[in-house]
Amino acid sequence: MENILECQNLVKFFPGCLALNSVNLAVPKGKIVGLLGPNGSGKSTMIKLANGLITPTSGKILINGMEPGIETKKIVSYLPERTYLNDWMTVNNMIEFFCDFYTDFNKQKAYDMLQRLGVDPSLRLKTMSKGTKEKVQLILVMSREAELYLLDEPIGGVDPAARDYILDTIIGNYNENATIIISTHLISDVEKILDEVIFINKGNIVLASTVDDIREHENKSVDALFREVFKC
Amino acid sequence: MAWNLKSDRPIYSQLVEQIELLIVSGIYPAGSKLPSVRDMAGEASVNPNTMQRALSQLESDGLLFSQRTSGRFVTEDVDKIMQTKNSLAMSIINEFIDNMNNLGYNRQQAVTLIESAAEEEI
Amino acid sequence: MLRKLLKYEIKATSRIYLPMYALLIVFALINKFFIAVNADYLKIPMMIAMTVFVVIIVGICVMTLVVTIQRFNKNLLTDEGYLSFTLPVKVHTHVDAKMIVALLWSVLSAIVGVVSVFVMAINEDTIQKWSKFMSELIPAFNSLGAAGYVIVLEGIILVVVATLSAAVKIYAAITIGNMSSKHRLLVGLGAYLGFGVIEQIIVSIFGSSMSSRIEIYFRNLDTIASKAAGAETALLWLIVYTLIFGALYYFLTNWMLKKKLNLE
Repeated sequence: MENILECQNLVKFFPGCLALNSVNLAVPKGKIVGLLGPNGSGKSTMIKLANGLITPTSGKILINGMEPGIETKKIVSYLPERTYLNDWMTVNNMIEFFCDFYTDFNKQKAYDMLQRLGVDPSLRLKTMSKGTKEKVQLILVMSREAELYLLDEPIGGVDPAARDYILDTIIGNYNENATIIISTHLISDVEKILDEVIFINKGNIVLASTVDDIREHENKSVDALFREVFKC
Repeated sequence: MAWNLKSDRPIYSQLVEQIELLIVSGIYPAGSKLPSVRDMAGEASVNPNTMQRALSQLESDGLLFSQRTSGRFVTEDVDKIMQTKNSLAMSIINEFIDNMNNLGYNRQQAVTLIESAAEEEI
Repeated sequence: MLRKLLKYEIKATSRIYLPMYALLIVFALINKFFIAVNADYLKIPMMIAMTVFVVIIVGICVMTLVVTIQRFNKNLLTDEGYLSFTLPVKVHTHVDAKMIVALLWSVLSAIVGVVSVFVMAINEDTIQKWSKFMSELIPAFNSLGAAGYVIVLEGIILVVVATLSAAVKIYAAITIGNMSSKHRLLVGLGAYLGFGVIEQIIVSIFGSSMSSRIEIYFRNLDTIASKAAGAETALLWLIVYTLIFGALYYFLTNWMLKKKLNLE
């Protein structure tokens, strides 16, 4: 199975909105891919479909050749845009939780990253600032040795210094059997770590290319191209 | 070292240039072992695939070679490095001369100016 | 996986229940002390302590309902749902875990309540009265023979099934409420009442067609033995009824969580 994620004529229709319009896509293993598009373009819908949180109206979405279910959830590590951790637990509790449910969770890695970012693992999540909670979430997600990472706005609410650390962590975590899909607005920050980018708008794939190809052929950064393509 | 990567040119070709510089200037000496792809990518804050591509290019250019189990090394061929250094130097010089031409100086005048500038330096 | 979910569900809820249980026992003991001493100058503190005791008992009952609702809603249908539903766990396992824990605390609350009243009320006088009561009850029970045990067993099964069914009925209503983005609470409440109405309708239809047969059956019970059999049958029907509706709510909840999940 060469592709970690495949969309085959994928359609998702909500009352009053066609979120994904017969999308065809293949994302290979071992890449860091940017899923870029304005709000309401269908990015979150695609990610939710990949996670099995919603089901397609028609067409298929396949993770490693399988439809979303328990087996795919074992190999997909998801970072949603919001904080989704159990407030009343401490960081230590959350680490134990992840260990319990995910066999690919690397406890040592998690504790190392927590230490580097200066987070005290005995604190309750409830007492932490939003930024710290987001860091903890990211650490938990990246400490899994998954085959597909879906990161929805991983650096959005974080200060620039932490942003760099997070991007470095993402690179450092890279392994050629895993794919990382990053959905974000902060393109210029993230561009140089991406292999490929996918532009999506109003439920349609507008562009799919490697970053270097774009720079070579368009002589501009992906960020600049994005602004052009999605000019208001 | 700071990796200064511009955003409108392909990353991998910029990496090729910067690593070449590191080699010819001796920061990565002849025959030395390079850090792993992952480490270098982390330092430059780029995607490891892109770094890999750059290193492969340098391998086919003959500046690097890899041994299957031990990793990547700078070539021991000192002449080759010298060659690269010289051709890089030539590009700088030619660019300089072009710029001087734009100012209105011909080649001879440019050389004279360099010599006097060099004397002042000492 | 179910065991793991149970572990965390219990962890999340015991922080609320255990302190309340402890508080209840403490006040039971305080009241017991006041009752034993029975001094005039303690009349007012005694009244206060007794009131607090009753308040705590009522509180525990209310708390059980509130926690059942809140755990399901918070853990599955708010932001936490993003974590819950991306765990490699089947949807129905989540519902199972919540139902089982709801049953656990309901039973425990009842036991703790009874025990605390016991602790408070127990003295020589009451022990005597209790022994007398038991000495009359036990022979009467034994005269029923096997039927007696069956009735007790059915009673226990009924309590368990009824509690689970009540919980999953609430879950179904909450899940329906969740489908509306603006009026979750109202729609959920409406759904719950709606369920009640539908149940009534179905029972009435079924009951009216059977009413004559039922009447005849119960009129013909004259001996103790047949009365016991009557009780067995009645309990059995109750269990069946509760099971059927419980199963319906269970499938409804699971189907909606799988197909109509609407996490904002």
